[in-house]
Amino acid sequence: MGLRDFIASRVLRRVDVYRIDDFSVDPPETVSIKKRVDVVRLKPEIPCEVSRPFEFSEITEKMKANAVNVKLAGKMPKSHNYRIKRFVKEDVRTHSFQFAKKPKTWSLLKQVQALPQERMNVLKYIKRPETLRGEVILACYGPIVEGGVLKLALNKQRGTLLVWYKAGSRQLKAKYAYLIRRLGLGGKPEWRWE
Amino acid sequence: MANNAMGYIIIDGTETQIRGAALVTDAKGFPVDFVRTDPLRPDQLSRILYGESFGKYAKEKLILESLLDAVETDPQIWICNDSDILAPLREKSRIKSVLLEESPHVPLDAAGHIETTADPGVFLIQANTNGAPFRAEFPGGIRPEEVQQTGAILTEAAATMDILEPFARLEKALNFLASGTR
Repeated sequence: MGLRDFIASRVLRRVDVYRIDDFSVDPPETVSIKKRVDVVRLKPEIPCEVSRPFEFSEITEKMKANAVNVKLAGKMPKSHNYRIKRFVKEDVRTHSFQFAKKPKTWSLLKQVQALPQERMNVLKYIKRPETLRGEVILACYGPIVEGGVLKLALNKQRGTLLVWYKAGSRQLKAKYAYLIRRLGLGGKPEWRWE
Repeated sequence: MANNAMGYIIIDGTETQIRGAALVTDAKGFPVDFVRTDPLRPDQLSRILYGESFGKYAKEKLILESLLDAVETDPQIWICNDSDILAPLREKSRIKSVLLEESPHVPLDAAGHIETTADPGVFLIQANTNGAPFRAEFPGGIRPEEVQQTGAILTEAAATMDILEPFARLEKALNFLASGTR
């Protein structure tokens, strides 16, 4: 406003009035508050077959499998400081678990009856073995029920005595079998029962 | 007939196969009953699911029960060599049961002598006159009278047989049968 206008406005109380046709002020900046959602595509379905010992029934001998939570491996991505929740369809099938059945049993008595018993040499445990004059004790085996013996065989490799008993024998008087050698030339080992 | 029968049970195997056998002998050690199981072959899923408890479960629940059900002649005592089955053997059979092993101890005073050890439930029993005492392990909570009775049974049996020898025969029998001949 110039001096003339000032004086005029004071003196004449008149001012110029201007019409503004061009309202060219920039509109204020607006910000959308609409949120954008990032969609991170995971595997859409993760089928899992999960069995876990959960409950055991002694009656049915079956175990119920228990569904467990499926945990996805890897870190979930971050977006605008928001936690992305896991929207994974869990398709967990559970199975009834049939445990091993009792094994079949076999009665095989005759085969086992044919096996010999093996007696170890117990000479070292006999404190005072009775030796007769002119003989040397080589080994001692027992106890053996002499009256029930079907067959004896010396296992020379192992130094043991194999004993086969007669089936059905009721004899129970046990003795020890001493393997002896009589001193002198050509003396063969002999058995002496005590 | 007085029951002087002796019973023996072995259950052995690996992670992939478990089997068992029971032998009942007369006082001479002559077999009067023998049963054995087919080998139990657990699949991998069973082994994974049960983990370390599988062996114990299979021995006790599958093998031992099958054997006891199949044995027709009850012995006066069951002797086993596996601590996993000792307590269930006593419980299920309701017959005196003991885990018997050779011991490195020097012979005790006389046959029939029993000594306690530092381990609870474990005793030394001098059953025979010609050998070391046995290490005898009993199920938990064993009564002293039962230990004495077991000692008497073993001592009487040792007069006519080699008490631990049937285990060797059981092993041989299982190996023989596993070789394909039945």
